[in-house]
Amino acid sequence: MMHLTMEQLLAVRHAGSEPGSAESQAHVQVCPECAAELDRLHQRVARLRALPTLRPPRDRFAAVAARVRHDRRQLYFRRTGIGALALAASLLLAVVGRDLMAPPAANASDQLTTVMAESATLEQALRQIRSSQQVTDAYTTRAAASLEDRIAELDHELESAQMQTSPATRSELLPLWRERVGLMDALVDVHLTRAHNVGL
Amino acid sequence: MTKALAVDSYLAGDAESVVARVRVGDPAALEILYRAYEAPVFNLARRICRTVEDAEDVLQETFFEVYRSIGQYRGDGPLWGWVRRVASSKALMRLRRNKYRDTDELFDEAHAVRREDTPLRMDLEAALERLPETSRAVVWLHDVEGYTHEEIAEMMDRTPSFSKSQLSRAHAKLRAWLGEEALT
Repeated sequence: MMHLTMEQLLAVRHAGSEPGSAESQAHVQVCPECAAELDRLHQRVARLRALPTLRPPRDRFAAVAARVRHDRRQLYFRRTGIGALALAASLLLAVVGRDLMAPPAANASDQLTTVMAESATLEQALRQIRSSQQVTDAYTTRAAASLEDRIAELDHELESAQMQTSPATRSELLPLWRERVGLMDALVDVHLTRAHNVGL
Repeated sequence: MTKALAVDSYLAGDAESVVARVRVGDPAALEILYRAYEAPVFNLARRICRTVEDAEDVLQETFFEVYRSIGQYRGDGPLWGWVRRVASSKALMRLRRNKYRDTDELFDEAHAVRREDTPLRMDLEAALERLPETSRAVVWLHDVEGYTHEEIAEMMDRTPSFSKSQLSRAHAKLRAWLGEEALT
């Protein structure tokens, strides 16, 4: 007696939906070897389904959120025709992303220059966004005001620190500028989320 | 299917409002979806892709696509079913991108020598990992995720016969590698 092939056994698992499965089913009824093989197949599938769920080794939501923000900005800039800023925003995201991933560079002065440039790009983006927005809702006003207050405090701290321009104090400026970039980034996001929500 | 139901029930209470919030670009809502589905999406991606890094990329691409395409979800089926379809497509896209590593015949030849050293019995995890990527994807999508050969063929841009043949070859290999004894 010819035994069933693996393909025929698989068809028997889905009896009725596969051509020829009725004949194969009849064969299984009279062939103990094929019946045992079918049992093994069922068990194998059951074991596959019982394999443990593999979990991601690290949280990737920050990366997803960053890409969403980037996409939203691109969309906003495209719609409002601020092409150059779209490019600047892309570059900024690349720079910020690189800074987050890369080990700290040796030269604090170079890092400071980079962070200050990021801050300037965000300032420019904010100016453009504000000039193109006609309406602001209460939520956006509250969120933006809170961020702007903290930026103003930071600017005051930076002004005081910049009065002393020794190399040591330049490295102390870096975390303040980084915080400023983070706040500016959040502020841009608040405005763009509002723009996205009202369909700009 | 049990896993899918469990995941959907996780969001069951407020799935509709979460989807509505994602549609208007609420990042907090996207995070709720991410937290609900990150494990099953990663699991599916990791079972199909060769490396953890590829699976992580698929995870990220899946949720970005969910954010971009949530408007296409009409609510006429379980949300997890829709997210899973996005994840499956992304994982298969990743396989196609890495196809230079995954020509089945070449893969089989490359592993022929190692196969001779294979212990008489392997555990299921190791055996699954050892399958060529396309076969493994078909096994996972068909036997675990519950897709039909027609659905798999559509996602892989192949024919249902191709999917059936891959499944059959994969089970023959698994059976041999697992050293399954007669049950009697």
